[in-house]
Amino acid sequence: MNRKKNIVILGIESSCDDTSAAVIRDHVMLSNEVAGQAVHKAFGGVVPELASRAHQQNIIPVVDQAIKKAGISMDEIDAVAFTRGPGLLGSLLVGVSFAKAFALARNIPLIEVNHLQGHVLAHFLQEKVEEHPVPQFPFLCLLVSGGNSQIILVRDYLDMEVLGQTIDDAAGEAFDKCAKVMGLPYPGGPLIDKLAKEGNPNAFIFSKPRIPGLDYSFSGLKTSFLYLLRDEIAKNPDFIDDHKADLCASLQSTIIEILLAKLKLAAKQTGIKEIAVAGGVSANSGLRSALLETAEKLGWKMYIPPFKYTTDNAAMIAITGYYKYLKKDFSSLDAVPFSRVVIS
Amino acid sequence: MASILCLETSTEVCSVALSVGGRAVTVREDTSGKNHALLLARFIEEVMKETNLPFSGLDAIAVSGGPGSYTGLRIGVSTAKGLCYASSLPMIAISSLEAMAYHVINKPYIFGIEKKESVLYCPMIDARRMEVYASVYNHAMEKIRRIQADVIDQGSFASFLEIHKILFFGNGADKCKTTLQHPNALFIDHITTSACYLAELAETAFNAGNFVDVAYYEPYYLKDFVATIPTKNIFHSNKDTNLLQG
Repeated sequence: MNRKKNIVILGIESSCDDTSAAVIRDHVMLSNEVAGQAVHKAFGGVVPELASRAHQQNIIPVVDQAIKKAGISMDEIDAVAFTRGPGLLGSLLVGVSFAKAFALARNIPLIEVNHLQGHVLAHFLQEKVEEHPVPQFPFLCLLVSGGNSQIILVRDYLDMEVLGQTIDDAAGEAFDKCAKVMGLPYPGGPLIDKLAKEGNPNAFIFSKPRIPGLDYSFSGLKTSFLYLLRDEIAKNPDFIDDHKADLCASLQSTIIEILLAKLKLAAKQTGIKEIAVAGGVSANSGLRSALLETAEKLGWKMYIPPFKYTTDNAAMIAITGYYKYLKKDFSSLDAVPFSRVVIS
Repeated sequence: MASILCLETSTEVCSVALSVGGRAVTVREDTSGKNHALLLARFIEEVMKETNLPFSGLDAIAVSGGPGSYTGLRIGVSTAKGLCYASSLPMIAISSLEAMAYHVINKPYIFGIEKKESVLYCPMIDARRMEVYASVYNHAMEKIRRIQADVIDQGSFASFLEIHKILFFGNGADKCKTTLQHPNALFIDHITTSACYLAELAETAFNAGNFVDVAYYEPYYLKDFVATIPTKNIFHSNKDTNLLQG
């Protein structure tokens, strides 16, 4: 290779039910391939063994596609970044084993990435065409997904601190579980968002958690939702169908209120007005408009990533790998997956 | 004379061997337990370093294709795929049971038995409770019963045991000793899976051009994974607490 060498990172993500591979050059995304797994729909949730088997089938086609679409050759890859956790162990094992073998065979550095850090740093991914503004340090990031609800203080690319997090269910889990109770297909979050647009957010009142500090809790809301349905269905068997839009709107607005209350508190406590959101639930249109409204009112600078970077993807793993590469923060071949939430 | 890197992770044994011309020349093996995710890549690196061979000097990667531990197979096959894809090497998959049987049948003197044509060989891999993954071979390595998951009871293998002596071995055989009490049932202890047992079969497969599709190969799980589709309506049963806890 004679031309000027920028840093090319291959990212691999397999923490749940999406197999993804991405190639970035410096912080510019060249490709970001995601293979979803339709197989879980029939079961109303992700079946870990089936997810692991599907990753095994998807991994090479996805990586190959990512390299081809990026228009690079395999020799140009400077390092492999992979999701080490948190996630489903069987799923992670496929990506971790593949990444280790790839790095070993190509004799290039291996970089482990915390999935949650990846979600936060997705904000720094740029596209070839035009650069978008990025959050300035320090900033607060609200990370909301099917597995996480956290408020993270981001001092630098690799210097993060969790100020608050859910003590039970994640926000996305609350969406999905309540959707399941209403008989909506999996994943229910996007459907609730859609139905909520036609409903009255004040039609029903659900209990809100009283948790000290900046932590979240969503299991009480889920129970409260379930009890309301149980009591009402006893009186009217068609209650759900008769009130679907109102139920969705009320549920969604309660979840958003809970999320925003702690975010506002964190902003107040830290005095930080650079606010970012990340994770799959940030695709929720109700949450997006509530965040923008609050930002306007409180003078926040709000950063909402494009939809494709909010759900699980390997580009966010690659960008995190890029910042670790600059610091020569490499992993050994001994790296094994971890399932539990930690961030440092 | 092919140089083939062999990976065996289908049981609690994590094992890597470099095979040259069908002989295992360098081996790394750990039998202490399920630590494959940590050890496998390290073992591969050590074997390659010790032999001073770059990956480009290999002709193929051979991997144990099961049956066996789902997690073990997942680690082995994902690793093999990574190596093959990154080094443009063909991939060979070998049945873990066949590899063990091949080892025993070809080295009967090690186990104090004479090679008799009437003896049958039954490699077993533990599949929890009283279940084993097993198949039956004759002295010529012909599979005379297909690989399946057997729940072992007194009647297991009865039709074979009436006529033949059967040698049972592998990490599933131990727990069958008290149940399979037929005079024709013989047990060989301490036979486990090993990458070394893949070597000769891998060489044969290589010479025959017997490769698997690197991208779409799937290990032999033996059992389809059956998840159940929830059917109950929580509002018409008294078990709605499940949902609250779930």
